[in-house]
Amino acid sequence: MSADVARYRALMPRAFGPSQAGRALRWLGAAAFVLWLATLLWWFDASPARLWNGLDKLGVILRQMVPPSPGEHWDAILQGLAESVAMAFLGSTLAVLVAFPLGFLGANNVVINALAHFSIRRVFDLGRGMDSLIWALAFVRAVGLGPLAGVLAIAAAEIAVLAKLFAEAIENADARQTEAVTAVGGRRILAIRFGLLPQVFPVMLAQYLYQIESNTRSASILGVVGAGGIGLQIAERIRVRYWDEVAFIILLILATVALIDTLSAWVRRRLIGG
Amino acid sequence: MQDAPLQLRDLTRRFGETLAVDGVSLTVPAGQMLGIIGRSGAGKSTLLRMINRLQEPSAGSIHFGDTNVTALRGRALRDWRASCAMIFQQFNLIPRLDVLTNVLVGRLNRRSTLSSLLGLFSAAERAEALAILERFDLLETALMRAGQASGGQQQRVAICRALMQRPRLVLADEPIASLDPRNAQVVMDALRRINREDGLSVLCNLHHLDTARAYCDRILGMRAGRIVFDGPPSALTPDMAREIYGVSEAEFHSAPQGSLAVA
Repeated sequence: MSADVARYRALMPRAFGPSQAGRALRWLGAAAFVLWLATLLWWFDASPARLWNGLDKLGVILRQMVPPSPGEHWDAILQGLAESVAMAFLGSTLAVLVAFPLGFLGANNVVINALAHFSIRRVFDLGRGMDSLIWALAFVRAVGLGPLAGVLAIAAAEIAVLAKLFAEAIENADARQTEAVTAVGGRRILAIRFGLLPQVFPVMLAQYLYQIESNTRSASILGVVGAGGIGLQIAERIRVRYWDEVAFIILLILATVALIDTLSAWVRRRLIGG
Repeated sequence: MQDAPLQLRDLTRRFGETLAVDGVSLTVPAGQMLGIIGRSGAGKSTLLRMINRLQEPSAGSIHFGDTNVTALRGRALRDWRASCAMIFQQFNLIPRLDVLTNVLVGRLNRRSTLSSLLGLFSAAERAEALAILERFDLLETALMRAGQASGGQQQRVAICRALMQRPRLVLADEPIASLDPRNAQVVMDALRRINREDGLSVLCNLHHLDTARAYCDRILGMRAGRIVFDGPPSALTPDMAREIYGVSEAEFHSAPQGSLAVA
């Protein structure tokens, strides 16, 4: 057997592991990575003592959260939550409607011109560079305080994200199906309608449903900057250290998100199957 | 070395209302090359998959020598799976891993889990895998991604993976259904080689009568989950073929007149 090992090792050395140089390069890469991590931690002064003290204070907050309590403003909390859910729903829907055509424009198997494809994709990158919180600050100035600013902020932030995801789903689609539609004499738009859309529709729907859920969570932040929703309620209570009420609102948000998740799973099953 | 025979007793599998496999009893002596033919949906795949326990029988039992395969659990079940190697229609390789690693996967059941998770295969194991690949003219593909190999190569890599398991029998589920005739022949030759040279029983689901006739010692015809024919290739008459497929062999091969008719 050992003769075999020697023979195959001579015949095909790479089958027995990387070369000396390759191994050295791997170690070097790993060392550089660890060094980089350590440097960043040092830069932000992440000493164990600081972390330990922080943990201690976090513990105090956690203790004050138990038991969670709704406080005296049930109505305000529920209204904020309803607003947040509505903002997420409206914002996501708006974003999907705009991102749908953009996704096709950004897919290199639909828009074949390389320069056009490149430019559209860079525009998506620009859009993704701004978080919904920044958009919210801008829209609060533009349309005033309240949920509308939140809806616009969510839509603006998610359009580019969804357009990129849609474009990628379209690019990963199986070309044989569009080829079949072309081969029966269908024009290009029909090849997209019958060969491409059925493949990417499930991905788009799943993304849309996920955005509603994810944006419900985002929407609970937007209130902090005055863009409506439950965030304002949380921010107010944190300022006066009513941690038990904060805990209650957080639990309520968790339950709401879980409910949305269940509903969207049901919708997915009904519309996509499986 | 003469291994134990494989015995199926009244093996049955239900899917809802349908009986996919309906009371199949069968003994396969060691070293036999057995071809199973029948229409799609006749229960051939389910039968093979039950032997590997990828599918649980609804009733009946599987025995290998003194072992009651149907009762195996956990470690013993995984050991059984290693000893009856499965070959799939779509090859079921891991396309992103190289060919060598795909073959080494065949050894996983006999190694420590931790070293396997870390991908630490020994030089001896690598040499053994390379030797198996060389035996089937695949040595030069060893470092290629499996997904980049041709269909015929991929199925032979799957056979190499099967041998790496050090199996006691081989189950091949439509191994040549996605291959062109030339590659189909190469793969069937490889299966017959491991049957003749390594003395392994091979149970092979096949679409084509001709392939079964050319390669198998014994042919099993299935229809609607039952065995309707069991005998040597010479006993497979045109009437029998009609019984198995529900159409005559001539109709079966209709288009270009008598591409083969009946020998």
